[in-house]
Amino acid sequence: MSLTLELNYEYTTSVGKLWSALTDSSKLAKWVANIHTGQGMDNDFKPVVGHRFQFRTQATEYWNGIIEGEVLIVEEPYRLSYTWESGEKHTVTWTLQDLGNGKVNLHLEQTGISNPQALAGAKYGWSKWCDELEKVLV
Amino acid sequence: MSENLRFRDVFDAIADPTRRQLMKLLTEAEEVPLHELTSQFEMGRTAVSKHLTILKEANLVVDRKVGRETRYRLNAAPLKEVQDWVAFYSKFWSINMMRLDQLLKEEEE
Repeated sequence: MSLTLELNYEYTTSVGKLWSALTDSSKLAKWVANIHTGQGMDNDFKPVVGHRFQFRTQATEYWNGIIEGEVLIVEEPYRLSYTWESGEKHTVTWTLQDLGNGKVNLHLEQTGISNPQALAGAKYGWSKWCDELEKVLV
Repeated sequence: MSENLRFRDVFDAIADPTRRQLMKLLTEAEEVPLHELTSQFEMGRTAVSKHLTILKEANLVVDRKVGRETRYRLNAAPLKEVQDWVAFYSKFWSINMMRLDQLLKEEEE
């Protein structure tokens, strides 16, 4: 049992260009960035099932700055999935949907977000629990 | 000072459904006496007390004695740690997906 993160973003572009931005190593380095420094992450990503890759950023006191992963699904140009490992092992899946009129929806799903300690014995959905958290924290 | 000392990991404390239920009940009122909390569960008073103690150790509830009665109140602040855990990834991708938007616009030009 774990949390799932889902995000959607609508881009004014073509499916082909968006796919290229998601799969081309040099393009990835331009937008997948360390959000604290704004620096793009060096990577050796390839859209090939089974390929293991790394994204690297500056190490800190708490983290070696390395995200590792393995490509799981490549369905050009609509679906891409890989593991995303830094401490925990998550799965990131991108789904592209052509909306027409030069718009493309990009859907991100990141699964496996958990804290093993926290989830021991948890019996109901964490997403639901997080909704509750939002209310409590307001 | 010792009152603020956290003995227990907040993730541990909320891992149990009974304790989450207790916290939910505590969100519904300013302060709730033990007997009112106990009446919501099939388990006995001692078992409920044990769960409250764990929440107290994680600084998620605060109790006080009023006469012979113990009243409990929620302290939500430590939950921020849990929220941050998910918020980190959410923020990471939201910011980077905006960067991607910028990149695609630049490519257009």
